[in-house]
Amino acid sequence: MTSTPTTISTTPGDRLAAAGAIDATKVYGIGDAQVRALDGVTVAFEPGRFTAIMGPSGSGKSTLLHCLAGLDELTSGAVYIGDTYLAKLNDKHLTELRRTQVGFVFQAYNLIPTLTAGENISLPLMLGGSKGEPDWIDQVIDTVGLRDRLSHRPSELSGGQQQRVAVARALASRPTIIFADEPTGNLDSVSSSEILEFMQLAVRQHGQTIVMVTHDPNSASYADRVVFLGDGRIVDEMTEPTADTVLEHVKSMGA
Amino acid sequence: MSSHATGLIARRSLRSRIGRTIAIAIAIAASVAFVVGTFVLADSLKSSFDSLFSDINENIDLEVRSSLEFGDTNEGISREPIPLQIADDVAGIEGVRAAVPTVARYAQVIDLQGEAVSSNGPSLGVTDTEDEELSTITVREGNRPTGGREVALDGVTAEKADVGVGDDVKITTDVGTFDFTVTALVGLGDSEGFGGASISVFALDTALDVLGTEGRIDAVDISLVEGTDPAGVQAAVEDILPEGTEVITGTELSEEQAADVNEFIDIFAQGLLVFAFVTAFVSAFIINNVFAITIGQRLRELALLRAIGAAGKQVRRMVIVEALVMSIVATIAGIGLGILIAKGLSALFNAAGAGFPSAGTILLPRTIVMAFVVGVGITLMSVIVPARRAAKIPPVAAMRPELGFDSINSRRLVAGTITVLIGAVAFLIGLFVRPGGTIGLAALAGGGALLIFVGVGSLSSTVARPVTRTLGWPVSKLFGTSGRLARDNAARSPRRTSSSAAALMIGVALVSAASIFASSLRDSFGRVLENSVQADYIVTTDSFQGMPPSIADAMKDVPELAAVSPIRGTQMQIEGETRTIGAADPEALDQLISIDVAEGSSLTELGADGVFVHEDPAKDLDLQVGDNVDATFPNGAERTLGVSGIFSDATLVGNWLISIETLDDVSGAPPRDFFVVGKVADGVSPAEADDAIAAALEEFPQANIETNAQFRATQEDQINQLLIIISGLLVFAIAIAVLGISITLALAVFERTREIGLLRAVGMTKRQTRRAVRWEAVIVSLFGAIIGIVVGSLIGVALTLAVPDSVIDGLSFSFPTMTFILVGAVIAGLIAALYPSYKASNMNVLAAIATE
Repeated sequence: MTSTPTTISTTPGDRLAAAGAIDATKVYGIGDAQVRALDGVTVAFEPGRFTAIMGPSGSGKSTLLHCLAGLDELTSGAVYIGDTYLAKLNDKHLTELRRTQVGFVFQAYNLIPTLTAGENISLPLMLGGSKGEPDWIDQVIDTVGLRDRLSHRPSELSGGQQQRVAVARALASRPTIIFADEPTGNLDSVSSSEILEFMQLAVRQHGQTIVMVTHDPNSASYADRVVFLGDGRIVDEMTEPTADTVLEHVKSMGA
Repeated sequence: MSSHATGLIARRSLRSRIGRTIAIAIAIAASVAFVVGTFVLADSLKSSFDSLFSDINENIDLEVRSSLEFGDTNEGISREPIPLQIADDVAGIEGVRAAVPTVARYAQVIDLQGEAVSSNGPSLGVTDTEDEELSTITVREGNRPTGGREVALDGVTAEKADVGVGDDVKITTDVGTFDFTVTALVGLGDSEGFGGASISVFALDTALDVLGTEGRIDAVDISLVEGTDPAGVQAAVEDILPEGTEVITGTELSEEQAADVNEFIDIFAQGLLVFAFVTAFVSAFIINNVFAITIGQRLRELALLRAIGAAGKQVRRMVIVEALVMSIVATIAGIGLGILIAKGLSALFNAAGAGFPSAGTILLPRTIVMAFVVGVGITLMSVIVPARRAAKIPPVAAMRPELGFDSINSRRLVAGTITVLIGAVAFLIGLFVRPGGTIGLAALAGGGALLIFVGVGSLSSTVARPVTRTLGWPVSKLFGTSGRLARDNAARSPRRTSSSAAALMIGVALVSAASIFASSLRDSFGRVLENSVQADYIVTTDSFQGMPPSIADAMKDVPELAAVSPIRGTQMQIEGETRTIGAADPEALDQLISIDVAEGSSLTELGADGVFVHEDPAKDLDLQVGDNVDATFPNGAERTLGVSGIFSDATLVGNWLISIETLDDVSGAPPRDFFVVGKVADGVSPAEADDAIAAALEEFPQANIETNAQFRATQEDQINQLLIIISGLLVFAIAIAVLGISITLALAVFERTREIGLLRAVGMTKRQTRRAVRWEAVIVSLFGAIIGIVVGSLIGVALTLAVPDSVIDGLSFSFPTMTFILVGAVIAGLIAALYPSYKASNMNVLAAIATE
């Protein structure tokens, strides 16, 4: 409910942050067709917290997420994960960073269609050639309730089950941070709350850091903190949100 | 380190995209099978002939025969007969158990209808011996001929002639036609036939009488007393042999005979291999296209892998491992298939009467290595570019697929143009400059053509849209919405359309090039024959051994003919090189064939020890009229021949022409005539002449009597047949191209699942859906065929121009062939569309719409 604009918590290099952006700017196109998707965003995400990024379409929230995750490059400014600045990394190290320190949950097409649920979960570990921690993976599988679905292909799972596999995959390697891009965008309300509860649980019980992009006030209410984006800038933020307070805030922003 | 994940995904991908996997595997396996089939067939035949000859000669320790100065019997040179007395002389040498005189000469069996019995090898009359060790035949039925007019026939020939033991049969030899009674049917070892040859077996006395050796024999087969040292006896035999004869061991004999056959098999196999590699090249196009498309379709999957931590290298490795596994499995299947093809072909030849000795299937390590080089090689080459593209897919494409191939620039126009130019330059240098002889020609022209195909394949995408839109115009007018959809879809992805059309383009281009070359050759040849052949009748034969001189002699006796001359063949060594020499009756030939004498006297002046030389070798050897050339004949005789004329038209007589008088003077080897030409006397009507010649040659059914016009038609027909054979061998490549269009279209249908579902939902019927896919395939096929005809025609024109004017003096296009190709392309398209159109029309509409 505090509404302090822009720079709030950390300065770059502050060990308290799991990830963050400093004066991040992203420009698409050239000349008249130029679009400033990000316009000097500075934000930090503390470890062990669940942060939601909200904003209307075109506010730059997905771009921010992609840049934070090292999937896309900034025009200027910097992003970091842990104590690593991504701009300094070549493709090889960036790939390794994604594999070891970042987890992803996308809105759709999260899973390799030819692999079973179990194989999808351990895929990032397999790509790195490690087995991970079997006990932890077991625990994750039980938490998301997929024990009896491990040998199924994605096409044999419901949308909710597929997203649970995706969350389990993101958790399996115990990454520094998990980025979720509208993870419940394609789901009904029951499946949505299931997924969001799992994510909440991962944060509360296991100290996982999660950053989630959403446009749904109800989804945002599962987070510990909500950052509002508009026209490529951070316009506001809020802690301990509820669906109602977020909705109210969105309305007040006139979005 | 992470090969586990890479391998797992590759394996799963292969299994879940089973249709695509099978289609690619078929293309690989077919190419491999063609290569393996060729090698296995050749190796198995060689091995069976090797063992056949060593079986036949197993008990021959030594053989005496006349010697050859150069060349071998395989090149059409025959050995002169030797005196019968030698057999007795040799028999007296210590250590010799038996010395059997043998004769093997031309003998053509005539069936009851008076037709010559055809064979797939030489027609031979041979002697047999009662000496069991030295006898080479196995009596199947009846008793060996003992003399007089008795003969034994091989099983295959007897069956063709429809005669059995006790029946009468006519046999033509070099000296006439004789009536015989069949006393036995014989075979060779386990085989009914003699490897395609037609064999008549006589007792020695009969053979000496009828085979035209004038009481002489061809060889003496020697068997030694057990435990005798062959080298010692060989030396002793050598001591008593007259000049011009030699003694060799049985092993040498077998090796020599096998080498003759092997040489022929190798030429045959090399011809087949060319087509096998064309097939492999076409397959490479298809495989490349299919991988490129599936990687496009898997863009999100691959980007997702990148996003969750797969390195670009891992993605690339995954795609390559997938291709590798598939190619290894397909290669193994192709090897199996190739063995079946070899067996099938062998059986086919035998059904046609080839009488190949039965043999095991020989799969040499070399064949297996080649199979993997072709199968794995073409797959890996095809997948390199798609795999690199896959590795470059940015991870962000997992969420924003539209960014997928953004980073990959297309430089097809430049790269394609450069490739075509390099290819064309290499091709033209190969044809016209010819550095490095035949190998240089094959490497530069062949490699150049491959580069041209690759370049055109990538260039054609730039014209794919306008061309397919033009081709599709009538379709869209004729078939309404379906037609319009077909047209739009074909033009929608120019690159894909051009790639799948490229495979067909190659096959069509080769057929077109061959067609232009063949029709130009045919027409030039026709013109040359028309100008140079003044003869009214040309007598030819299908036999490998040419015709006995008795045919020419019989024609000379026909009063209705004013002039008759055979064209007889032999070989000579001149300036260290073996050259084919024609011999004729100069005075008669002057009236029959115009050889276009450029310098020197008239042809009628060609007397004994004179020679007429074609201007090409005359130029090479710097020969002028009045010069002398030293010539060595196969029997070792040496003559100095005076150049009495230089001529320009070598079409019928070859490059060197001497008189029969000269040939008879030098060579005692049995003469063989390639053909005999004759001219009708003044005042004789064509009908009278026909009857007179037919009557004179009644005894010689192996002689084909043709009038001037018929002869020209036959010659042109032979060139047409060559074209048909070439096209037939390209069918494999074309079938694979059609398969390629089919796969590409099936993948496109899969991609458009949602779109097709939508069309169906708003009221498109199944039939309309099928039609749209079908005509799309036809448009793509026609596109490939048209580019193929254009490229092929250019190649064909270059090939034709590269041939000296003396052989081809003008270009001819065969419009029926081109029309046939276009109609064929439509049919190919319809066939290619069968499966994809079925898939498209039988989609579950609801499920299709729900597809993401």
